[in-house]
Amino acid sequence: MVVALKERGDGLPGAAEQSGPIEQLRYACSMGAMQTAAAIPRVIPITHCGPGCSDKQHNALTAANGYQGGGWGGGGVAPSSNATQREVIFGGTDRLEELIEATLKILDADLFVVVTGCIPDLVGDDVGSVVRGFQSRGAPVVYAETGGFRGNNFTGHEIVARAIIDQFVGAYDGEREPGLVNLWSLLPYQNTFWRGDLGEIKRLLEGIGLRVNLLFGPDSGGIAEWKAIPRAQFNLVLSPWLGLETAAHLQEKYGQPFLHIPLIPVGAKAAGEVLREIAAFAGVSERAEAFIAAEERTYYTYIEAFSEFYSQYRWGLPARFAIAADAAYALALSKFAVRQLGLLPARLIVTDNPPGEYRDAIAAEFRALDHDTEGTVEFLEDSYLIHQQIRSAAFGHKPPLILGSTWERDLAKELKGVLMEIAFPASYEVVLTRSNVGYRGAITLLERIYSTTVSRTA
Amino acid sequence: MSAKKTKQIAIYGKGGIGKSTTTSNISAALADAGYKVMQFGCDPKADSTNTLRGGEYIPSVLDLLSEKRRVDAHEAIFLGFGGIYCVEAGGPAPGVGCAGRGIITAVELLKQQRIFEELDLDYVIYDVLGDVVCGGFAVPIREGIAEHVFTVSSADFMAIYAANNLFKGIEKYSNSGGALLGGIIANSMNTDFHREIIDDFAARTKTQIVQYVPRSLTVTQAELQGKTTIEAAPDSAQADVYRALAKRIAEHTDSKVPTALNPKELREWSAGWADQLIEIERASERARVAA
Ligand SMILES: Nc1ncnc2c1ncn2[C@@H]1O[C@H](COP(=O)(O)OP(=O)(O)OP(=O)(O)O)[C@@H](O)[C@H]1O
Ligand SMILES: [Mg+2]
Repeated sequence: MVVALKERGDGLPGAAEQSGPIEQLRYACSMGAMQTAAAIPRVIPITHCGPGCSDKQHNALTAANGYQGGGWGGGGVAPSSNATQREVIFGGTDRLEELIEATLKILDADLFVVVTGCIPDLVGDDVGSVVRGFQSRGAPVVYAETGGFRGNNFTGHEIVARAIIDQFVGAYDGEREPGLVNLWSLLPYQNTFWRGDLGEIKRLLEGIGLRVNLLFGPDSGGIAEWKAIPRAQFNLVLSPWLGLETAAHLQEKYGQPFLHIPLIPVGAKAAGEVLREIAAFAGVSERAEAFIAAEERTYYTYIEAFSEFYSQYRWGLPARFAIAADAAYALALSKFAVRQLGLLPARLIVTDNPPGEYRDAIAAEFRALDHDTEGTVEFLEDSYLIHQQIRSAAFGHKPPLILGSTWERDLAKELKGVLMEIAFPASYEVVLTRSNVGYRGAITLLERIYSTTVSRTA
Repeated sequence: MSAKKTKQIAIYGKGGIGKSTTTSNISAALADAGYKVMQFGCDPKADSTNTLRGGEYIPSVLDLLSEKRRVDAHEAIFLGFGGIYCVEAGGPAPGVGCAGRGIITAVELLKQQRIFEELDLDYVIYDVLGDVVCGGFAVPIREGIAEHVFTVSSADFMAIYAANNLFKGIEKYSNSGGALLGGIIANSMNTDFHREIIDDFAARTKTQIVQYVPRSLTVTQAELQGKTTIEAAPDSAQADVYRALAKRIAEHTDSKVPTALNPKELREWSAGWADQLIEIERASERARVAA
């Protein structure tokens, strides 16, 4: 008798286990995490991959998605080994060695992150031994094996974060600083609005009296913040699932606790709740109350002004919405739409392929959209299926509000709806500092939704 | 250019079973018989054609490719015994890169540069490394390269397992125009029960034994001189065996799809033989004691 350690489950594999061709995709491959590296000020990714891999990833993420620009060290700046036949057959480590050597001479950065594509990962290049050679000479280089077949850029993001933590930040057994927090939240570049959003989240956290290692984006202090990761009082995972793996790793590595809040707050209701939870965890509740009160005064002054428009406008405002976005934005914006705009969910679709083990918890978050509103989330990556689901949703007699991506342009026309591009790829938006989260971002989001609505027939 | 069709043959078998030795002797015998032959070593070790060139190593196609991006295939073709064109695919150092892709690249290169037509070859014989572990090593049996595959096997079970794996590969590619099986070259056949085992395996998989090749000191002596048996000991009995084998292969026309044994069948088949071997041993022991 042959006995496995665990009996094989029967029944069909769950949705998360299935794979197949999809059309109009909504993420990049693992190596898209080159932009995770590029999102850290003064960090440059080095791409060890075939011709076109790097270009395809960063073009999708940084151009076709809000025209964000590749960043100081990402996009077209990133050096590449441009591996071809020779590197496949004989292995590409020599070429990589040469490339890192040259990069260190020519480019100025605080840290270089080697990310690998499918070729070296399939062929089995020992990238680690090459990079360790440079590390032992004191060069600031780390490597992350992000071959595209490993998954999407969400997967790659955590591989890169872990690489920097393990190979660059290193061991720490000193004191922890009360009030210092590491933030793990939106996926840089993938989320079109990450820069403004992270900036707003930082403002909120500082508002309640915390200091923040923001880690990514223009409002981050770059690698000094990464070096300070082990000193933080705790890690804050502000997203339904992305960042949990990193936080668990940090807990194991540094004994650092983490707080997981799936909801990125959009609007005063959510912000108040989330900030209170964080403040209680961090032990800064008093300052939080004063900050929340001040923010709400401003916020509701605007909402009051808006309410005149909202109650008086007679030419058709949406009553129901559909959303197709990554788990973080899908949850955050849905809750805002339901709890602060009084809209009803017609379709809730999560597109970032969260690992199977997180899906039940994510679904539970959507079930509790509000005390009187339940939502059913669907995990779909294929735009054909996504469009079928949105098309068949019941929007009532009002114009459908679709919170989605450029892929929904034609569908929105077909349904005579209002499309807000809030998810990858957002090719009809130019996005720099704009934000949709927190107090200020929520007001901006509201302005955008209703500007689009009232100008729909202009 | 002549209209004749080059006959392309691939020789497979477990590592160390005698592929290169057998292939080189076939090439040598065919060259002696007046044919234009190329021997194409598809093994990163690049030692297939050694005994055709006095034990000397030649630069491989991939050696050249590692130096420059564009390779003229002629630079990788060397003349050996009897005017045989010797080519080694070569490959990366052990443990790095992708040897399978290397084989694909080397074979494609000669095909693209239309070398077989240009040299007006009668035979191209591919000597392919061990198990068909990945797509690269299956290239010679895929569509448009070799038409006939022969496998070298002894009566050892591991060698037979490797042959059976190869049969699976042939079955897989057979409906997309891949090569078919010519038969088994039974190497190191020194006792009757060796023959019985390999005969039985051939019968079970619906193929044939092309030739029984005994294990012989002549082969070893020739190899030590850097030569094939055909060259070093043309009058030996072993040379006759290789010439007979070459003749069978030259005359061979109809290859077939073998029926590989599935894992269970293979296990049961070898278990059955294990019982018989124990019985044979007991019988000879009884005979010895009785004597
Ligand atoms: N019939 C034979 N009689 C005596 N020696 C033999 C015979 N066949 C093969 N050998 C010896 O066995 C050894 C291995 O043979 P060979 O190199 O041809 O095997 P191979 O299958 O090509 O191995 P590899 O898989 O390593 O390329 C050699 O030393 C060779 O001389
Ligand atoms: Mg050999």
